[in-house]
Amino acid sequence: MLVVFGASGDLTARKLMPAVERLARRRLLPTAFSLVGVARTAWTDDDFQTHALAAVKDAGPGWPSVVKTFSYVAGDYAEGDTFERLRTVLEDIDRAHGTGGNRVFYMATVPNVFASVAGALGAHGLARRTDETPGSFVRLVIEKPFGHDLPSADQLDRDLHAVFDESQLYRIDHYLGKETVQNVLALRFANAIFEPNWNRNYVDHVQITVAESVGVGHRGGFYESAGALRDIVQNHVMQVLALTAMESPATIDAHGIRDEKVKVLRSIATMRPDEVAGNVVRGQYDRGWVEGAEEVGYRDEEGIAAESRTDTYVAARLEIDNWRWAGVPFFLRTGKRLPKRVTEVALGFRAVPHLPFPEGMAKGLGPNALVLRIQPDEGITLRFGAKVPGQAFRVRTVNMDFSYGAAFVEESPEAYERLLLDAMTGDPTLFIRDDEVDQAWRIWDPVLEAWGEADAPLARYEAGTWGPAEADALLAQDGRSWRNP
Amino acid sequence: MAQPVTTLGLWSEETTTVGQVLGALEALRRPEPMPATRTSVMTLVIIARQRGSALRAQEAIHELGGHHPARVLTFWLDPDATEGAPGLAAQVRLLGGETDGKELWFEDIELDVHGAATGYLHSLIEPLTLSDLPVVAWFVDSVPSADDPLLLAADVLLVDTRQLSDDCFPSLASLIDRRPVVDLSWVRLQPWRELLAGLFEGPDFRPFVHHVKRVGVAGRFGPRSLLGGWVADRLDLPDGSVHLTQAAPVSIRLQCEDPSGGTATFEVARLAGGRMVHARADVVGGPTSEAVLQLPEATPAWGLPDALSRLERDPVFESALRRASP
Repeated sequence: MLVVFGASGDLTARKLMPAVERLARRRLLPTAFSLVGVARTAWTDDDFQTHALAAVKDAGPGWPSVVKTFSYVAGDYAEGDTFERLRTVLEDIDRAHGTGGNRVFYMATVPNVFASVAGALGAHGLARRTDETPGSFVRLVIEKPFGHDLPSADQLDRDLHAVFDESQLYRIDHYLGKETVQNVLALRFANAIFEPNWNRNYVDHVQITVAESVGVGHRGGFYESAGALRDIVQNHVMQVLALTAMESPATIDAHGIRDEKVKVLRSIATMRPDEVAGNVVRGQYDRGWVEGAEEVGYRDEEGIAAESRTDTYVAARLEIDNWRWAGVPFFLRTGKRLPKRVTEVALGFRAVPHLPFPEGMAKGLGPNALVLRIQPDEGITLRFGAKVPGQAFRVRTVNMDFSYGAAFVEESPEAYERLLLDAMTGDPTLFIRDDEVDQAWRIWDPVLEAWGEADAPLARYEAGTWGPAEADALLAQDGRSWRNP
Repeated sequence: MAQPVTTLGLWSEETTTVGQVLGALEALRRPEPMPATRTSVMTLVIIARQRGSALRAQEAIHELGGHHPARVLTFWLDPDATEGAPGLAAQVRLLGGETDGKELWFEDIELDVHGAATGYLHSLIEPLTLSDLPVVAWFVDSVPSADDPLLLAADVLLVDTRQLSDDCFPSLASLIDRRPVVDLSWVRLQPWRELLAGLFEGPDFRPFVHHVKRVGVAGRFGPRSLLGGWVADRLDLPDGSVHLTQAAPVSIRLQCEDPSGGTATFEVARLAGGRMVHARADVVGGPTSEAVLQLPEATPAWGLPDALSRLERDPVFESALRRASP
């Protein structure tokens, strides 16, 4: 039984309903599957079902019959009556469908009610711990943000752990549901040719880019209190970094992978306040042209303060202090209103120790690179030097491409589809554990603290460019430059 | 051999966005049986001010078939369209081709841009480029200024000086400091240059290379200027020794006189209507030498495969261009 809090909200309509529909269409839902929506909006079951039908465009013919079983509980999360009525509905469904008390609670709500809803589930007997319910399960799926800094994340964990065991908590970072992110593990640990080169002996530096062409849209109010670092870097970027940099797990399961991710995050030193300015660039976009349209600057967006100092762009240089990566900088960047939407990991390799070609023969030769394209145009590119056909011996950089679309006929599941099914089947491998969240906040808390100072620098960049000049300088000081993906 | 391309899918919209164009590309690829994406080796951006120029360039690309498969973006910049609200109309075609038995898929995106957006084409190009592949901007009937933001989105500029106006050289010379420039006319002149250089091979002819007194180059503005600039630069000839005249097709004639009074002429010319280039060296009172070279068929794609294989700086071309610039 899937119980969605925030059932009348945007996330439910845009992501959860399409994911449930695809799972139903692929016959991956259990026959006794039921969905109960909970929200403040004064809807009936019929209203909710109509909303669910409308939320999925191009739905399969079976969707109306699936939606017909959906129930809805309208009520305030602060009132005990809401949860009493919810319990009655759930018990009725258990009796009717034989769902045996198995529940997945999904928090598609604003984050400030996570703790109170979890507490209410406990208070009203809806959140049994694992050892109290042999043979059945209760799980809680939580959307990011998991706190807004380390102390608030710790407090949220304490509140949740008062009701649920850690093994019952499924913290979603939808990036982990992407096939191409999971493919980082396959590429690294299923192949003999990459892993021997995946270290400081061969890798010069790593660049991780999460670029968006959109602005803040109607999320201005949320974004003002979050910013790019909290919205993207602390979670998505750090997860991608961890998968890229971690050691080989003993087994590809929840413990194996998450233990290794935590180990690599622990290897990233906590920045001192005086190190922040030299390693992290905070930027905010001004007016400019993106995708053929003139866009306003961030401070002119709806719901944004005229003197806002919120980060819409972050570029950072991190070092991983372990045997594998010592001395290899990891450059991270994310931003809104960049020229294109793209997410990628690029490993730049060291130059050969000796280039036996005269300068003129190799002038078109760039450094070797392995680029993992996460979205769009999912795939992998290996850049290497090759001889240009002809009498002369000239060497130029060429690409060898692997394309997901070309290699596999199977349609990839959407991230939410994959993660929702994992939560229902009890596989937490692609969900984030509490210690991962803590480590990520531990790394970025000093930066947030430094940015809280009144004189902390805020670089400007024109919308439609790849970010502020200060971000270029961050790499240029070591003789490197950003890729233009 | 490359076979002509065929259209596998088509989508068009009078008022659209880049996001919709990318969505349309994905939707067109999805039903195709297997290699649905990256068989392209570059993103080729055609920028035209005349509809006819744009169509000729597209025809040339399609003639290449599966050789140099590219995502092709065509911008037709209607000068009357710079007024009014920004707008974008698009037509997307998924194309199939075959090279040596291997199937290739690539895309052709035609964009009509209106209003102020015509001044910010780079913002449309960047999201439509393929990652990690060179972006070639082909200016088919104009030369951008050195501060054109379009240059930010391009790795290499492709032009054809045969199609450009007589005042294009200073602009081109200023561009080569910012991006590599590849000129189709220069590529097509390679037989003339090779034949002319070959005429000076051998002890009877080589001494004359240091005693060129007069050079006459006939042809259209771009080719004759480049050929004249090349000879003047390579032989370090004084200003005023190269005489350019309007004619077609291209020919070059060098008149030489050594200190002992020996004279010789070296000439490379294509006869009108033919595809043979004839080269002849004639030492007065001495030996003669001749060579002939067959040119490829004069199709719209003449020179294009070679040009697209040279996506890097060419110092010889750049020197010839600088020397040819007033």
